[in-house]
Amino acid sequence: MKFLRRWKIQILLFFAVVGPGIITANVDNDAGGIFVYSAAGAQFGHMLLWTMIPITIALIVVQEMCARMGAATGKGLSDLIREEFGLRITFLMMLGILITNFGNVIAEFAGIAGSMELFGVSKYYSVPICAVIVWLIIVKGQYKSVEKVFLAASFFYITYIVAGVIAKPAWIEALTATIKPPQLAAFKQDSYLYMVIGVVGTTIAPWMQFYLQSSIVEKGVTRRQYKASKLDVVVGCIFTDVVAWFIIVACAATLYVHGHSEIRDAADAAQALRPLAGDYAYILFSLGLFNASLFAASILPLSTAYTVCEGLGLESGVGKKFSEAPTFYWLYTILIAAGGIVILLPGLPLVKITVFSQVVNGAVLPFVLIFMLLLVNKKELMGEFVNTMLFNVIAWATTVIMIGLTALLVWGQLVGKTG
Amino acid sequence: MSTIALSELLGLLVYDLTGTAKGRVREVALAPQEDRTKIALFVVKTSSGNRLLPLTAISNIDGGVRATTPASDWALADGAEGLLFLSRDLLDQQVIDVHGRKVVRVNDVDFHQDTTLGRAQLKIGGVDVGARGAVRRLLKGVIPAAALRALVQRVPPREIPWDFVDLIETDAARRVKLKISHDRLAKLHPADIADIIEDLAPNEREAVFQTLDEGVAAGALEELEPRVQKALVESLDSDRAADIVEEMEPDAAADLLADLPEERTAEILVQMQPEERQEVTELLEFKENSAAGRMTTEYIALPVTATTNDAIEMMRTFEGRMESMSTIFLVDSQGTLGGAVPLAKIVLAPLGTPLLGLTQEPLIYCQENAKEKEFAELFDKYNLLTLPVIDQKNHLMGVITPDDVINMLRSKL
Repeated sequence: MKFLRRWKIQILLFFAVVGPGIITANVDNDAGGIFVYSAAGAQFGHMLLWTMIPITIALIVVQEMCARMGAATGKGLSDLIREEFGLRITFLMMLGILITNFGNVIAEFAGIAGSMELFGVSKYYSVPICAVIVWLIIVKGQYKSVEKVFLAASFFYITYIVAGVIAKPAWIEALTATIKPPQLAAFKQDSYLYMVIGVVGTTIAPWMQFYLQSSIVEKGVTRRQYKASKLDVVVGCIFTDVVAWFIIVACAATLYVHGHSEIRDAADAAQALRPLAGDYAYILFSLGLFNASLFAASILPLSTAYTVCEGLGLESGVGKKFSEAPTFYWLYTILIAAGGIVILLPGLPLVKITVFSQVVNGAVLPFVLIFMLLLVNKKELMGEFVNTMLFNVIAWATTVIMIGLTALLVWGQLVGKTG
Repeated sequence: MSTIALSELLGLLVYDLTGTAKGRVREVALAPQEDRTKIALFVVKTSSGNRLLPLTAISNIDGGVRATTPASDWALADGAEGLLFLSRDLLDQQVIDVHGRKVVRVNDVDFHQDTTLGRAQLKIGGVDVGARGAVRRLLKGVIPAAALRALVQRVPPREIPWDFVDLIETDAARRVKLKISHDRLAKLHPADIADIIEDLAPNEREAVFQTLDEGVAAGALEELEPRVQKALVESLDSDRAADIVEEMEPDAAADLLADLPEERTAEILVQMQPEERQEVTELLEFKENSAAGRMTTEYIALPVTATTNDAIEMMRTFEGRMESMSTIFLVDSQGTLGGAVPLAKIVLAPLGTPLLGLTQEPLIYCQENAKEKEFAELFDKYNLLTLPVIDQKNHLMGVITPDDVINMLRSKL
């Protein structure tokens, strides 16, 4: 009986802190993620699969650092940056995050527009309606109840795993490609480099770090409960990347092999699910994409408003009235409204814009990582929870590699233009 | 008298007696043991390390700091215990605005500057938590100083006077050295203290909470959300936790202890005074969602033969809360509930009136195992201020008050 009781307590402990990691992971596979992975598979086949293992390791390390910082300090990432690095750096950082996240919000609305177009609903209806719904969910304080629906619907991602299996991909090749990077020549292509940065940027997005750490703090995870939280984070990260792997494989097996290398809209991407659902692929894909986009669209603008206001010391929180936290609500409202408006511009290449926003994520990521690394190694802040050597090596390597890749891409663009 | 901001002071050139620039202002420090508002010294970054320059050796601060001593007189800055460094300890950190009753982040610090008898004096006016300080710091060095001064004058200030600023220091030893107390915070309403505590990080919560006396801490603890409440009590040693729990209303104390791990509850109970312990232990036996689980055992009960004089006498010596006095209950020698007399009727009746003649009719009560919905309906139907809870033998066990009902309903909203 005693054993049973102890076991029950362990389970309860886990469920008391579970959530932030899994939710972050699910939002990670948002419209940006789905489009980028699809495009990667369609355009390069298996050539990007090798990135999945290093990305997963980096993702786990980075997310674990955030969760640990949240549990050890009880403060959000932007709060910590502000307290340790001062107002000016925080301000620049927040400006960068605001712009990057705005790109992500646009991507979510692109996902909404794309998925609804598959049902024949014009974006001129779907985007404004969804923008209002998202705005109301938060402002009316209904987010917590809606979150569960989103989470349940996230199981749509499993369809990609099934589709990947049914598509009869070249397993051996896919697995080999997962372990073995392609020839160096591949990196000389700007388009390949662009996609690598995009894949990293969409998987380890800057906003996730701020969002996860705040969620951990809000959940009240303390140093003692931290172990359970760690499991939550690791499980979430692995789930994200397993889904990503299967999206790439599914797209490689359906689109790439048929020479359909460019994904222009959601209809192209939906082809990947054809082996599974046949003509219903559209329905399955669009429902999944719609859910993912709406889920992320309700989290991203909110998380951005929180991050920015906390960093700058402005009143924030959905519990406050509009007049008490004007900047917070205005930021939130403008992000949604402006994000929706951009998508309504006629003739916009939705997928291209989405992929671009994820490449920006990848380019901004190292800057966030540098601050995280400086913070997580401060003894007076973290105590015994400072980074281990191994974590430092992995996180610094990620930072340096991302800076290198971005520099290479920018250099390539410059040389390409002048020459 | 003029004003100057911390961000304007930092980085100013410091000239020694001979008028040569020797370094720049690195820090501005207060020695709270001596004076809570007057700046004690500057830390000056010179080519030979950080030096301490006391304000008493400064004749003028105007576009540059002019010292009246040679640079060789300035002591090396090492350790410097008992000093509050404004740039490090205050700038960008969170403080409690005791007047506005919330936690705010400091953008800048404003000083009043004065020169008396050839000596410069700086006094802290307040902390800037608004856009003015933010703009000043963001644009410092980016646009010319004069233009910046003119610009920030147009930005509306949001300043908290220094007297209303409560610092948060998690290091207990440093708290003593810097004379940081939360006397002013303690004077706020417990609900406001609770809101402020909820806005802080866990170790800051504990730090603030440790400085509050048991009575205030108990009041604030009752108002905290259960999750924070639990975490805070778990951070205290059981001795102090027991002292605080004793001061809480028995029903709130029981609710709190019921949420803690069993061993912890036992530890705290052991440390409590026997009388309070018994009350709380009894309440712990009841299911939380029954009438008995929601009631408090803090009430006034008098024999059925009592008069208004007895009631008033009893109230004068009653140690519980004001709210518990709104109804006086009448019980017989067995403890059986015989009537309820509203406070207002006692006040309006002539002295010496028997209480039995003032009872509220009909007598509304509920059984100990009544469901939440049942007693909430009674409150609504009869517009009650208190509802007595009885056991199967009609003995008075405790009282449900409106705050219990409102709490319960709010948690279901």
